[in-house]
Amino acid sequence: MGGAGSVALTADLQTIGAMMRRSANELIRVPGAAIPGVLAPTIFFLGLTAAFGSLIELRGFDVSSYQSFLIPVSMLQGAGFTGAAAGVNLARDIEIGLFDRFLASPAPRWVLIAGVVLSASVRSLIPASVLLVVALIVGADFPGLGGLLLAFFLVMWMAIVAACWGVTLALRFKTQAAAPLMQAVMLALILCTTAYAPQELLTGWLYTVAEINPITQVVEAARQGFTGTITWAGTWPALVALLGFTVVLGGFALRGMRRTAY
Amino acid sequence: MNTVRVVVALGRRSVLQTFRRPQLLAPLIVFPTLLLAIQTGGAGAAVNLPGFPPVDSFLSFMLAGAMIQSTLLAGNAAGIALAVDIEMGFTDRLLAAPIPRWSIVVGRLAGAAALGTFSAVWFLAIGLIFGVEIAEGIPGVLLMIAVTTLSALAFGTLGAAIALRSGSASVVQGMFPLVFVILFLSSAFFPQELLQEPAKTIAQFNPASFIVDAVRDPVISAFSSEDLWKGLAGIALVGFVGSVLSAGALKRRLRTG
Amino acid sequence: MSAIEVDNLQRAFSEEVLAVAGVDLEVAEGEIYAFLGPNGAGKTTTVRMLTTLLRPTGGTARVAGHDVVTEAPAVRSAIGVALQEAALDPLMTGVELIRMQATLHGLDRAEGRRRSNALLERVGLTQASKRRVGTYSGGMKRRLDLASALVHEPRVLFLDEPTTGLDPVSRKSIWEEVVKLNDEGTTVFLTTQYLEEADQLADRVGIISAGLIVAEGTPTSLKAEVGKPRLELVLAEGEPDDCFEVLERFGQRLPGKDGKLVIEVESGAAAIAPVVIALDEAEIAVESLELVEPTLDDVFVEKTGQHLEGAADEAPTPEPAGEPQPDPA
Repeated sequence: MGGAGSVALTADLQTIGAMMRRSANELIRVPGAAIPGVLAPTIFFLGLTAAFGSLIELRGFDVSSYQSFLIPVSMLQGAGFTGAAAGVNLARDIEIGLFDRFLASPAPRWVLIAGVVLSASVRSLIPASVLLVVALIVGADFPGLGGLLLAFFLVMWMAIVAACWGVTLALRFKTQAAAPLMQAVMLALILCTTAYAPQELLTGWLYTVAEINPITQVVEAARQGFTGTITWAGTWPALVALLGFTVVLGGFALRGMRRTAY
Repeated sequence: MNTVRVVVALGRRSVLQTFRRPQLLAPLIVFPTLLLAIQTGGAGAAVNLPGFPPVDSFLSFMLAGAMIQSTLLAGNAAGIALAVDIEMGFTDRLLAAPIPRWSIVVGRLAGAAALGTFSAVWFLAIGLIFGVEIAEGIPGVLLMIAVTTLSALAFGTLGAAIALRSGSASVVQGMFPLVFVILFLSSAFFPQELLQEPAKTIAQFNPASFIVDAVRDPVISAFSSEDLWKGLAGIALVGFVGSVLSAGALKRRLRTG
Repeated sequence: MSAIEVDNLQRAFSEEVLAVAGVDLEVAEGEIYAFLGPNGAGKTTTVRMLTTLLRPTGGTARVAGHDVVTEAPAVRSAIGVALQEAALDPLMTGVELIRMQATLHGLDRAEGRRRSNALLERVGLTQASKRRVGTYSGGMKRRLDLASALVHEPRVLFLDEPTTGLDPVSRKSIWEEVVKLNDEGTTVFLTTQYLEEADQLADRVGIISAGLIVAEGTPTSLKAEVGKPRLELVLAEGEPDDCFEVLERFGQRLPGKDGKLVIEVESGAAAIAPVVIALDEAEIAVESLELVEPTLDDVFVEKTGQHLEGAADEAPTPEPAGEPQPDPA
């Protein structure tokens, strides 16, 4: 039984690998496919730092530059966008009937989800890297190796969360027209945090929402290397938040898969 | 006169198209509203910055920016709709009909204008619900709606120019990020004097800044004819450039078939 | 053991819409079974339920000995599926696609490669396999679809409208491939709206309309149900006295229309020569003679009162001159 089990696992891993290779095809074979995912967060980063840069003069901001403060948010935004795009790709595969081919095979349902979601996670490194370079050019502080690895790690995990959401919507609506919903929710989730300013300086309803929103912990954790020191106390809440979201949204995605096509 | 009837018919079609498909309308209204809500809460403390113009709240300041964001997006959407018409061959049919060339573009702009008015009313309503007081009262409100509608028309001519020149909906769609570049390089989201360079300098000369300031004025301060004239001049400039480019692109399209 | 067993299978999409309204059928191993019916009859919905892509709302189905709902993974391992609209990723090359299918079915790399290459050669796509699928013609896509469905050597093959939209040459080559597969032991369940396809390929045909099977049997037996072949003649001199005596030697006379004489001929085309010879010997001149054979469309008309949609696409079969006669058994 153990032998059959490990054979099955190998097959599962190979399937996930094949799906990830297929996802890479789009980037390699379609010129400019990566641009939208990189362009949007970059424009927002540059625009927001230009517009709101003088906020750091306010008391309560403890950073040398708004760029350092904002860059982890933009990197996470890139991850959100990449995850939503994975959902859109799945919706397209469903629309053209290609996903039926996968569903009619004996590949376990979680393997199919894992393939989509892990592809998004790896792809999120692209906008994150470009954003980082741009940020360093316009004056952000280098986060140190530890800060860098932590930020990328959180970005990749955020992409997994966003992809689970995208997959859930794709299975529910079976159309690419659900794209705006995939993107808007992730955008709101990441921005309704201490994205623009530290908690004490947030005003009105956003103060309350940011306090409750678990993604605030992710933003703060990713910010550590850029604006201060990395501590375990500042990191573990983010891991819990991401784990929670992954379990819930991943559960929705799996249930959606079982309900449409068991 | 036949031309008037034609323009009205095309205009009606354009307006109906805009409002009949909620999934197209949503990004033009919902997205700026979402952004407004988030940015007001996130950067709201900015009102305490030295040099920030005296306002009741950050929302009072940002409202105009959200309205102009909508009109820029409306201009982009009008361009996309026109490009789709061109791709579908509908425009060819119009060109072969005995109507003046310009009526094709003007008809399409009606949709943009309608959207401009709608977004002005929408954001004013939101502002009032969340406690914004319009300093200039009813005349101020009417002024804001008028300026917003005109700016939608002006941005519509730019969208039309791109559509006529490229003939491709996806090219016009690709201009979407440009909308945000224009907004960030203006006084839409933050006072011009407090922007970081080089945005600060660019915003000083950006027509979008003048337009936003003209709409913002009645909300936060007493009426200033200088701001109004600058805003109208900005609209006129954009409209002029857009019309010239559109005319040129249309001629080129007719010449090269 | 039956390859496919279906018992009162139902699929409701809402309170009123019952796409599949209670289908019973059984397909033996090694059979080719065709589901014939117009668009919207419930063919695709049934296939999707049998291939575990859609959950039935009533009834049960077993494929390759496993229940489609409770033992879905086992079903999936045993079936090959080529659905409508050969669903392929235009960015992938042919060989990448078929190898991916092999991976999905858990074949190890070497075995997957071996089988992929063999199948590509079998369907004549070895050369094209390195090109992106987006460059393939419709016929090539179908062939790749078919090859991919076979990579894990399934026991039951499901084909949903396999030749819709193909040119006659491609259609013929798919038919040949299906027959060959069947000869090798694969059970084939196909859906089609083309009479000729069902007629030529199937061991048994199930005619489906509005979610229910209205007739089932071998093509021959189905057609025999609605009547025997008949000869329709127009004689040069109207109806000379002795013509009936001559004609009735060969079969029962049926009511004719438009001046045509109609006799039933059980032996079909084989009766033409003897009839012509007999008329010639009796010095009766024939102006025109036509052999009219019942078609599956006639069966469909008999059972549902409507023609099959695909009938229009087929090589024209002459309309029967009168009402189809019930079998006088």
